[in-house]
Amino acid sequence: MPKLTLAAKLENLNSMIKFILDEAATLGFDEKNKFQVRLAAEEVLVNIINYAYPKETGDIQITVNSKEKDSLEIEIADWGFAFDPLSREDPKVCVPLEERKIGGLGIFLTRKVMDDVRYRRDNDRNIMTLIKKLP
Amino acid sequence: MESKYAVNIQGDVAKIELSGRLDAVNAPAFQEELKKLSGPVLKQVVFFAKDLEYISSAGLRAIIFAKQKVGSASQVYLVGANEAVLGVIKMSGLDNFMHIQDTYSE
Repeated sequence: MPKLTLAAKLENLNSMIKFILDEAATLGFDEKNKFQVRLAAEEVLVNIINYAYPKETGDIQITVNSKEKDSLEIEIADWGFAFDPLSREDPKVCVPLEERKIGGLGIFLTRKVMDDVRYRRDNDRNIMTLIKKLP
Repeated sequence: MESKYAVNIQGDVAKIELSGRLDAVNAPAFQEELKKLSGPVLKQVVFFAKDLEYISSAGLRAIIFAKQKVGSASQVYLVGANEAVLGVIKMSGLDNFMHIQDTYSE
């Protein structure tokens, strides 16, 4: 299973996304699906980069599993403090922009464009699993 | 495509050209450029998005920030966005607060 580990830094975001999209391309994902995979991956990765390691920088490990052939399973792990992003309330997208609270939008979008999004805590790791099926 | 953002203010209309990707890497530069909106009283803020390939929540937040900055008296337009970008805009409910158009005429 292809695996990539890099420091949780914004400067590594494009390399991490490219790693995931290359795998999506081998499954034959079209442009629309690749856009959606990029979006979900960015939102989850940026959350980790911004919040998982408040004191010192840690790593992000990405594992991509496409053995099902008709779906892409992306596992994104970090060793930061325990946090389940799925526990947050969805943003109120109907509220006027002027009163909109910033935050929660990324995970909201991730859930919209993926077929399944899961979180688990495994010992000292946060693990997010994103699943996108071929249409 | 290179990611570029340029704010051009003519009278009470601000025109903003977007190209490439509006993501977490590029949003800070975009946010910086949007500071130009805080001076004049603007009747219209027009985002030209024909060459915008991708937008994430970081880009959306910058647009929300722009809207909050100019206040409710200005009309915000999104012109020429592709289907995928428009999908993200609609999922987030931003289409309720912007005029979505294929083309723009003065």
